Amino acid sequence: MSELMEVKHLKKYFKSPRGTVHAVDDVCFSIEKGTTVGLVGESGCGKSTLGRTLIHLSESTDGQILYQGRDVTRLNKKELIEFRKHAQIIFQDPYSSLDPRQTVQDIISEPLLLAKYGKDEVQRRARELMDTVGIEKRLRMSYPHELDGGRRQRVGIARALALNPEFIVCDEPVSSLDVSIQAQILNLLMDLQEELGLTYLFITHDMSVVRHISKKICVMYLGQMVEQCEKKELFEHPLHPYTKALLSAIPTTDIHAEKRRIMLKGEITSPINPKPGCRFAARCPYAKESCNEPATLREVAPGHLVACARAEEVNCMA
Amino acid sequence: MSEENKKKKLLEVKNLNVRYKSGQATVYAVNGISLELEKGQTLGLVGETGAGKTTIAKSILRILPDYAVETLEGEIYYEGKDILKLSDKELQSLRGHEISMIFQDPMTALNPVKTVSSQIAEGDRKHHGCSRAEANQKAVEMLEMVGIPGERADEYPHQFSGGMKQRVVIAMAMACSPKLLIADEPTTALDVTIQAQVLDLIKNVKEEIGTAMLLITHDLGVVAEVCDKVCVIYAGRIVESGSKEDIFDKPSHPYTQGLFAALPDLDKDVDRLTPIEGLLPDPTVLEDGCAFRSRCPHACHACREFDNELRELAPGHYTRCWRGLQDRED
Repeated sequence: MSELMEVKHLKKYFKSPRGTVHAVDDVCFSIEKGTTVGLVGESGCGKSTLGRTLIHLSESTDGQILYQGRDVTRLNKKELIEFRKHAQIIFQDPYSSLDPRQTVQDIISEPLLLAKYGKDEVQRRARELMDTVGIEKRLRMSYPHELDGGRRQRVGIARALALNPEFIVCDEPVSSLDVSIQAQILNLLMDLQEELGLTYLFITHDMSVVRHISKKICVMYLGQMVEQCEKKELFEHPLHPYTKALLSAIPTTDIHAEKRRIMLKGEITSPINPKPGCRFAARCPYAKESCNEPATLREVAPGHLVACARAEEVNCMA
Repeated sequence: MSEENKKKKLLEVKNLNVRYKSGQATVYAVNGISLELEKGQTLGLVGETGAGKTTIAKSILRILPDYAVETLEGEIYYEGKDILKLSDKELQSLRGHEISMIFQDPMTALNPVKTVSSQIAEGDRKHHGCSRAEANQKAVEMLEMVGIPGERADEYPHQFSGGMKQRVVIAMAMACSPKLLIADEPTTALDVTIQAQVLDLIKNVKEEIGTAMLLITHDLGVVAEVCDKVCVIYAGRIVESGSKEDIFDKPSHPYTQGLFAALPDLDKDVDRLTPIEGLLPDPTVLEDGCAFRSRCPHACHACREFDNELRELAPGHYTRCWRGLQDRED
């Protein structure tokens, strides 16, 4: 087992007129080479910020990001360019992440030109990439607006693959697509992983998608990691009250299943200058006074990390 | 059908056709849709982007943009009156009062320069002739019903979060106790835990007022939660319709089956998902035969000559596939 990426106490704060936004607050986790780690949470919990910070699209405030043992946050400009060949990103919205004035071929060629490939090599590689992601050759000179959502996302994937990266951050790559197309793109991503040995950080809010694609799952709430474990363990024995509520809230297509839904009170609170203590306490059905202490991620079962002071109590594990 | 029979049904759409102008081309958005809704019932319209779901909803309220519509044909009976033949004035007394709509995006459905209470009160002032004070009082009650504290009534939409804005939109739609509620993807823009709250809220409010609902969504999970009847729409046509049990337990049309197969399952492990290959057909061409045949795993030459008529599989369960009555497993 080798860890491709290790994140230690990563923090990303933003300044805002009303105070400091704790978008990512003291997050630790690692990603094993060749696997997919799913990152789930509701909008505004800091998933995308974490993903962008990992590949240094936005600078971290504090903490370490070790990529194959080297700290990404300390790279100089030249080293950063080299790092970007290894780490890429696929964006959520295939409508706004592609330049409307570039053709499909231009979009896919751009990383290759930046990496100073020769002209013939660029053309050859671009054609090869279109083949890999399943875009018909005739669409080479088309503009993004002429393509449907699924094909546009394929172009985004081809661009991310151009420089043979090892690690790709997939930031909600299927959430703007219809289910029939979503399945096509998920299959493509999984095939590519197998063929090219890619490592993914898969960001999504859709629990059924994350269950399908991930090996390990991290659940985030308001900038913090609240639960981390293998996929199977998470779905069978969720320990954090937030994860439990999240899992119970998913509408399923099984109309005969008896559902016991945990309804959460209120909504996600503000990440601006959060109070110390468990951030979920305000909505938590099990909250007690003891929850005013900061909740740190700890191992309660082998390989199962939870940030809840009362995890054993709530789950009758004591 | 006799006049009397029509009156029992709250809403009856018969052979609705909508075509849009698009440059030189004609877009065949809705092709011969017929559906019925009884009092207090919930009907789900399911389909992918571009299937024509929202066009159907907007035709019922007659809020399609005139400049884009080439033809709007058919009959839409609301309590026996044909909506397509009503005058503007008659329509205005229906909209918001008897039929109201929840739009998909709560961020753009609210007026940013008016307080939420004045937006909710607008319907009561217009339709019930309430004074400003009375209507505002009622607006505060509506806000409390959807779980927003009354003291926030004088705030503006930007001061609320997404989930709360959607609640304001629901309060607005419910303010005049409509008999028919059209909800166009009411929870698509929301997170799952908030979605659960909002769906619960819609269900409760519906029961309290006894409103019938037409729910438009692409999420089969949401349909399973709230609907009594389901229509699956593909390329402007209903390809399968029936009770919720019919559709979820015995999906018959290959498109419906494909939709279920494409969903990642929360309980089962599969190595590969089964997508529906291909794309929606070009909406500017209305071809003969089955519109799904280019993507259908069971397609054969007979599908080209398909008459596009619904086949009844069981009482109330219809499919638009000629193989409907045959065993597809062979």
